[in-house]
Amino acid sequence: MQQVYSTPKSIKKDSTFTFCAGCDHGLAIKLVAEVLDELNLRENTIAVASSGCSVFLYDFLDVDCIESPHGRACAVATGIKRAHRALNEEKFVFTYQGDGDFASIGLSESLHSALRGENISVICINNTNYGMTGGQMGPTTVLGQHTTTSPNGRNVKYHGYPIKTAEQIALCDGTCFSARVALCDIKNIINAKEQIKKCFEYQKQNLGFSFVEILSSCPTNWKLSPSDSHKKIKEELSEIYPLKVFKDIKEND
Amino acid sequence: MIKSFLISGSGGQGILSIGTILANIFMLNDLFVTYCSCYGAEMRGGAVNCEINMSDSELYSIQNTKVDFLIALNQASLDKFISKVKENGIIIVNSSLAKINKTRNDIKYIFAPLTQQASSLGNIKFANSIALGILSKILNNFPIENVKKAYEKFLSNKTELIQKNIEAYLLGYNSIKEIN
Amino acid sequence: MNQKELLKGNIAIAKAAINCGCKCYFGYPITPQTEIGEYLSNEMEKRNLAYVCAESEIAAINMCIGASSSGAKTMTSSSSCAVSLMQEAISYACSDELPIVIVNVMRAGPGQGYIYPSQGDYDQSTIGGGNGDYRIICLSPSTVQECIDMTYKAFYLAQKYKNPTILLLDGLLGQMAEPAIINDNPYEEIDNSSWVLKGAKNRPSRQINSLEPNQTKLNSHIFKMFEKYKQLEENEQDYEDFMCDDADIIICAFGSLARCAKDLCSYYRQKGIKMGLFRPKTLYPFPNKKLEELSLRAKLFIDIEMNMGQMLRDVRLTISHNAKISFIGKPVGDWLKKEELIDAIDKILKENYATSL
Repeated sequence: MQQVYSTPKSIKKDSTFTFCAGCDHGLAIKLVAEVLDELNLRENTIAVASSGCSVFLYDFLDVDCIESPHGRACAVATGIKRAHRALNEEKFVFTYQGDGDFASIGLSESLHSALRGENISVICINNTNYGMTGGQMGPTTVLGQHTTTSPNGRNVKYHGYPIKTAEQIALCDGTCFSARVALCDIKNIINAKEQIKKCFEYQKQNLGFSFVEILSSCPTNWKLSPSDSHKKIKEELSEIYPLKVFKDIKEND
Repeated sequence: MIKSFLISGSGGQGILSIGTILANIFMLNDLFVTYCSCYGAEMRGGAVNCEINMSDSELYSIQNTKVDFLIALNQASLDKFISKVKENGIIIVNSSLAKINKTRNDIKYIFAPLTQQASSLGNIKFANSIALGILSKILNNFPIENVKKAYEKFLSNKTELIQKNIEAYLLGYNSIKEIN
Repeated sequence: MNQKELLKGNIAIAKAAINCGCKCYFGYPITPQTEIGEYLSNEMEKRNLAYVCAESEIAAINMCIGASSSGAKTMTSSSSCAVSLMQEAISYACSDELPIVIVNVMRAGPGQGYIYPSQGDYDQSTIGGGNGDYRIICLSPSTVQECIDMTYKAFYLAQKYKNPTILLLDGLLGQMAEPAIINDNPYEEIDNSSWVLKGAKNRPSRQINSLEPNQTKLNSHIFKMFEKYKQLEENEQDYEDFMCDDADIIICAFGSLARCAKDLCSYYRQKGIKMGLFRPKTLYPFPNKKLEELSLRAKLFIDIEMNMGQMLRDVRLTISHNAKISFIGKPVGDWLKKEELIDAIDKILKENYATSL
């Protein structure tokens, strides 16, 4: 019998799925693990986990990993990348953060890492709310969205606008790659993996700050079924947060 | 025996420079020395001062209520620090930029037109080194080699500038016959 | 080599850091410690080492977390109000057991305060300004030479105990210059190969994290940290006792203020009063063993600080029997004048010894 699939090497053998049913974190981490395998990076990687649901990264990924204080993953990654260079070692360093971590509390560290062109990669899970604390309004919560802290729906007059992270990061001179992807169907999953791979390859090529925002489902807090959650991403969220590559330094050449 | 010095003037007069050079001269003469300068926003223009303590035994205190010597390179610093000089202390005043006026009779004044003298050497910035020469003459205890070494250390490779400053220093040193 | 040079405290620290193999510096400017970053910016770049003018002190200390997890000797420097910004990450680094050297050149607070020297961060440094149960090793130099020696020691203790270490000095010591020697680092290198993150090659992957959802594990982690602190308290207490052997009255002071207190000892001894100085060189672990011993014979302790009485608490906790404790304090520096202190001490002596002295 021919084996057509096996768990990526970069996934821990004994790990059990602990995310909510229908949550895209699991799939996102699996894609990251597959790309690490395909690029042969596992043994040379240091991952930076952040606060929020994304912190569980190190329960699944079988790579060296450090947990960062909330929002500071890009600063921690900067320290790791630079320290290894000072020690004459080149390591692959990426962060795995939520949208609240990356674009709210950590916006300063995130933006400045991109502006400096730190040679690190960032995977940012955008589920339009603070998931771990039970679904509060975050920086990416869309207008009209009901959360526990925007119970009447987010409105501009009272709450202000959400941030379009991938677009903002694309504006930074130090960014070599910035894209938004989704995991709502097979086609998009395949595309997401391609963009993650490109993001990681660009770091290997020393091109600067590389960024992928993943529109992800949060069925528990959205109070939707997994399939309705993906439908929402496909039909509503991707209209507000377009799925595309906003900057690719190689395409621009 | 501890001796304390306060050097004062305005930004650009090289107050901290001769303070550092003086402290280095003391060190090169195997004396104990502490050097404290004003810092932060204070150093961006306006008043500048530094305080130096020198001793032949280990120095503990860093700052003083009163000092033995004051160098005042302008009127404002003279007015500000005149009261900080000890009885029988010595004060060197730049009479080009301050009035010749003895407001205290318990201290010794040395008035010298430092800025004018410096100007005759080609740059008013040498006023500080002339003052240092005068002070050196009064203290009467450092070999010129150590003075040169201190200038060389501070001005690293700028040979011409070192030479000019030593010239200014010697001008000050030789201008003093007696203290009245 | 190893020649005496006139050095500012700040520059001395920066030079010593380079000399003992500091590979990474991350910082943000703040008076009165900016010279450390200025000096290192050039020196680190020349040597292809890591230097980042961070966007904030928060970013700087988090870069330190990343760098030290990589096994590189790592330092940041800052001052009081900005060290406050670092407290969250310091708490993380203690739990993560990461060796980071943090230089705090204190200025006056609270809040923005001003750039005057102060010793107002004794509490923040020794008790900790972050959340949870942890301790930070804290060293207190009082001369420029000690700035050098204690920079070496800070790196050594940080590595040895896998704990952040604060080098705590006031703005006066950071800014003043005196002759000092950049001697060789006397401490051995500590092997960190068992815990640093270098990639999971030929070994299982490693995680450095403070999050621990399992309360039994979290408890045992903190118990383990406190075993380490017990070792620190047992083995690393350091102090200077100056003229203490026969002293009736002992001044307790740390940092730049303590050196000025030495002049007071000589002054009062000339007047027939047996005065000594007890100066903690490690603020954590506080050298309580020696102080307790001294308190068995000395009658009066005068605690002098450039704050409203922070080390005073540790002095009181140590001296538990009948010796009296007085306090002289003023929160903002530029006041370390002998005459002022003599006035204050005379007053205390009069209150305590109206007849006998």
